[in-house]
Amino acid sequence: MLRRMITFMQVLVSGFATGCIYGLVALSFVLIYKATETVSFMQGELLMVGAFAVLALNVGAGWPLWLAALCGVAGMVVLGAVLERSVLRRAIGQPHLTAVLLTFGLGMMMRGSVTTVPAASHSMHRLPFPFAGETLTVGPVPVAAEHVAVIVATVLLAAALTLFFRHTRAGLALRACSENPRIASLMGVSVSRMHTLAWALGAGLAACAGLMLAPVTFVHLNMGLIALKAFPAAVLGGMTSLPGALIAGIFLGIAEAIAGLMLPEGVKDIVPYALLMIALLLFPSGIGAAFARGGARLAR
Amino acid sequence: MRSFGLISIRSMVAAVGMATAMTLSVSASATPGVSDREILVGTIQDLSGPIAMLGTPVRDAMLMRFEEANQAGGVHGRMLRLAVEDAAYDPKRAVLAARKLVQRDQVFAFLANMGTPVVMATMQMIVDSGRPHLFPFSPHELTYTPLHPLKFQMFAPYQDYMDAAVRHMVGANGYRQTCLLYQDDDYGLEVMKGVEAGLAKIDMALVERTSYKRGATDFSSQVARLRAAGCDFVVLATVVRETVAVMAEARKIGWEVDMLVTASGYSAQTHELGGDAVEGLYGVTVLPHPYAEGADPALADWIDRYRARFGVAPNVWSAMGYTIADLFIQAADAAGPELTIEGFVSAMASLHTEGDIFGGPAYRFSPDDHLGNRYGRIAQIRDGRWEVLTDYVD
Repeated sequence: MLRRMITFMQVLVSGFATGCIYGLVALSFVLIYKATETVSFMQGELLMVGAFAVLALNVGAGWPLWLAALCGVAGMVVLGAVLERSVLRRAIGQPHLTAVLLTFGLGMMMRGSVTTVPAASHSMHRLPFPFAGETLTVGPVPVAAEHVAVIVATVLLAAALTLFFRHTRAGLALRACSENPRIASLMGVSVSRMHTLAWALGAGLAACAGLMLAPVTFVHLNMGLIALKAFPAAVLGGMTSLPGALIAGIFLGIAEAIAGLMLPEGVKDIVPYALLMIALLLFPSGIGAAFARGGARLAR
Repeated sequence: MRSFGLISIRSMVAAVGMATAMTLSVSASATPGVSDREILVGTIQDLSGPIAMLGTPVRDAMLMRFEEANQAGGVHGRMLRLAVEDAAYDPKRAVLAARKLVQRDQVFAFLANMGTPVVMATMQMIVDSGRPHLFPFSPHELTYTPLHPLKFQMFAPYQDYMDAAVRHMVGANGYRQTCLLYQDDDYGLEVMKGVEAGLAKIDMALVERTSYKRGATDFSSQVARLRAAGCDFVVLATVVRETVAVMAEARKIGWEVDMLVTASGYSAQTHELGGDAVEGLYGVTVLPHPYAEGADPALADWIDRYRARFGVAPNVWSAMGYTIADLFIQAADAAGPELTIEGFVSAMASLHTEGDIFGGPAYRFSPDDHLGNRYGRIAQIRDGRWEVLTDYVD
């Protein structure tokens, strides 16, 4: 019985950590969607390029890992901003599909550029995190250090984002812009700057998710595939709710892991999507909206 | 009218004569992709898709072998040229690539097409166009059975060598509870068939099996499940990343169980990425990894040349690409100066090789059997590198 409990806890923690990464990528989807009404299909590629950028600075240029990570993420923020200024801005006013296809194309270009580096396309790489491969024991439950790191980093990032959106001018302006760009611009908020900021943040968040994924799945060309799981999380969260996206990501991660342990073989792969459908039937506007309604009811 | 009739007859004769001459000249140079100076060979690779990590070294090594042959004067004076198309593991793009290589580039043969979906989508079209379909990276039976004059293969299906490898491992180590963790696609199912067949021959059966989808990040539930089933031997139908993740997960929860991975997990990357977690992992190998350290002079020289040409160290895929190109050259050479497709496939169907600088198997092709090798060897990760433990097991 104890052994079963321990196994259950182990799987739960792994699922939670995986869910955090789904959640972070989902956050980046939602951040961009809320501010610009564009579904970005290049988040997976941004995640991959971010991880490769850190790898290049660390292994290629020999920078210490913390500096490489900082500069890599900062570089991705700049890349997001530059892409918005140079390319994505031109899709404003065009049909939705234009922007979607544009992000697809940009993603393919990013992927293509990484494949031109022989060392990148030949193999997978590891970032030398000090905790990689270590095991911690929490009570009787052995937990991978990288999973703990992922959870801690997600909590810190979520806290930083909350502070940013609640207490900084730029964060408030971005929120205002997401709620109603017309009124925001009447209030003196530069909508186009906010778009740049949203893409920059979206790219930065994707890069952070890439960094967290690196010790779990290593750095390789296909690490961006995780976006396929993160997108349902974003939808489940309601596409417009930042906490909703994070919670939905964690929910999917845990559901997937527990289903793999408890349910008959072959069922686990259906579970996240079945749950997604049920949740959308029950809460058509997403988990985030359902939570918000619940909160409002409680407040009344 | 008379003169008109005469002219008409003359012109008809001339036309018939020209047509005959053209037919003759066409049949004289009818072998596509072959001129007096050149042999053009096509390959459909994955250079940008999910298995670009395999496709790139394969392409590079084939180029390298062709360049070496050209520097040495070519094959019967003809230079070898490789026309590479990138299909990114996508069957739709592969069909377009195959059509282009057949119709526009007029290649002589297809070499080392990459990936089962690509091969399944294009193989029929290629052999229907009369081009040899050689050594595709698809360990699927259809690539050499039923016997077809134009199909040749050097990679045995997973089913064949995993059957033998599992029987060998169970026999040598006395495992009682064999389990399987597999990728939920054709690859995994093929391995499952092999493992089941091997166990059935020694009156055993799989105790537990569990799967994952490609791109999965978390293996905790699968490993927990296998442990709960009391497995003492786990066969992994995984690729590199999943192999490392599964081993790391098992070691994390303190489960010391023997695991055997297919040739898809036999890669230097497995121990480079996995470190201590993968020590002791068994693997099946067809060609040994070309390690620079401890290489004999011929292999060390090859590694240096590869590094100088492409700027990265070669891996087991490079060794495969090089071997494939080398087999092609040997058969083309044996086919003689008048290179035709018939001549080439008949030379291929009697090609026997005697090992190579990599320590690969001796390939034996015959008119009745177009699969050059059926067996793999068991290797184990010891002190951070693969050590080959056995000869080819059958």
